[in-house]
Amino acid sequence: MKLKQHNPTSLPRVSNDVAISFLHVTKEFSLQTQKTFKEFLPALFFGEKTQDRFTALSDISFEIKKGECVGIIGPNGSGKSTILKLIAKVMSPTSGKIHVHGKVSPLIELGAGMHPELTGRENIYLNGAILGLKRQQIDANFQSIVDFSELQEFLDQPVKHYSSGMYMRLAFSIAIHVNPEILLVDEILAVGDANFQEKCFKKMAEFKKSGVTIVFVSHSLDAVKNFCDRGIYINHSKIVSQGSSKEATQKYFDDTHPVNG
Amino acid sequence: MLELIKEIHAVFKWHELLWQMVGREVKTRYKQSILGYFWVILNPLAQMLVMSFAFSIILRIPTNSSSNIPYSVFLFVALLPWNLFANSLSSASGSLVNSASLITKVYFPRTILVISTILAKIVDFLFALTVLIIYMIIYQIPVNFNLLWVIPIFFIQQIFTLGLSLFFAASNLLYRDIQYLLSLLLTLWLYLTPVIYPADIVPAKFKIFFQLNPMAVIINAYRQTVLGGGPPNYTSLLIALLLSTLVLFLGLSYFKSREKIFADNI
Repeated sequence: MKLKQHNPTSLPRVSNDVAISFLHVTKEFSLQTQKTFKEFLPALFFGEKTQDRFTALSDISFEIKKGECVGIIGPNGSGKSTILKLIAKVMSPTSGKIHVHGKVSPLIELGAGMHPELTGRENIYLNGAILGLKRQQIDANFQSIVDFSELQEFLDQPVKHYSSGMYMRLAFSIAIHVNPEILLVDEILAVGDANFQEKCFKKMAEFKKSGVTIVFVSHSLDAVKNFCDRGIYINHSKIVSQGSSKEATQKYFDDTHPVNG
Repeated sequence: MLELIKEIHAVFKWHELLWQMVGREVKTRYKQSILGYFWVILNPLAQMLVMSFAFSIILRIPTNSSSNIPYSVFLFVALLPWNLFANSLSSASGSLVNSASLITKVYFPRTILVISTILAKIVDFLFALTVLIIYMIIYQIPVNFNLLWVIPIFFIQQIFTLGLSLFFAASNLLYRDIQYLLSLLLTLWLYLTPVIYPADIVPAKFKIFFQLNPMAVIINAYRQTVLGGGPPNYTSLLIALLLSTLVLFLGLSYFKSREKIFADNI
């Protein structure tokens, strides 16, 4: 994959082969403060007027092309997950523009929509619907979902009786059957046993091959280096470096392991 | 108006999720309980029996003047839709907060969370309604064609409920005080609505306030049309419809204006 250094000022054009573009995106959170009743009513109807703001991302610009696999790295609290949430449209930017072209499937904390009292079968339909699938689409993929999760005999048990590994398998299996054009992966591969992790990576490699755009957040520099084409390294809510995944991970490694003397 | 059409369109596009969420609500509510779904009938039945005892045997509240309808039926006709209203509001106010894990992770129209909670309450209501029907058959309450009015009245009630629910759900997400405020409000509201007493014993100088309370109009209209008291008061019903529609517009626009920061604040 050709290395492309992006210059934030030359970004405005959004061409057809771009899956995700961030243009001077800033995301601030207003911190709720204790307030008196007199302050509460105006805040309820007109929004928080507080000056206490926390900046999660400041003036971030980047482009991800269709079919690219991009790893986002950085220390805890640097804003990695916020980027994924912005791509998934779960959050809106405070300023700047975000363009996302294609169907997004978030593999962010798998199983958010699982209900413990419902059976595996019922949860497949519920989660499928949460991820935007129609009933017929779930019907058509049902067997394939069950096969991938290897949970055939537990299908009519409430998922509260599942082990956490089984839970993850089912959730992952549903999420990958959404036929995403853009896949958001946030640290999910840290859970599950080695066998399952391998299976997930295999599936992601398959996706990559078939041209799915993948945005991958991880603390595992090796995984990013080996799996991704490009890397974006962010720290203190700004992009420190973006380039080939090798470059970005190297830069991050150097920053976190300063040479002594 | 445009906002409303857009939202209806979005919810329609995601109708599969809406039904799944309603199913989830209904299926999981009474899991791991012995009586299970029977609770949705038992609950209003017990409430009705105790309230009938308190308000007809001890307090002797008169029912609709002319007809000799037993107080228990008189009360139940009003209590069921009132419970639907109150239950819808209180569970809708928690609907966003309870789905925090979804809101911070997956994109879908957020109004679905509110609407599905209300629809699940309507399912409960329909179950409880069978008790009323059995009751009316036992007491041989005469009904006439005015009974059909309950359909538009129910429709107005749902417009009003949805509008308020959207407001309370969004504001409760931002400030949890709202749920406590709401439960206080609902308790007081019950007494300011002719549920346990007939509307015609309200002194004339207070009547105007009852006309501006859509729930008072709605409850009174149910009672009148179901218990053979003739058609509802058209003017009052029209006012209730207009007020309810206004509440829906305001509730939705409040909800939409806060929607962007749901995931930031939950």
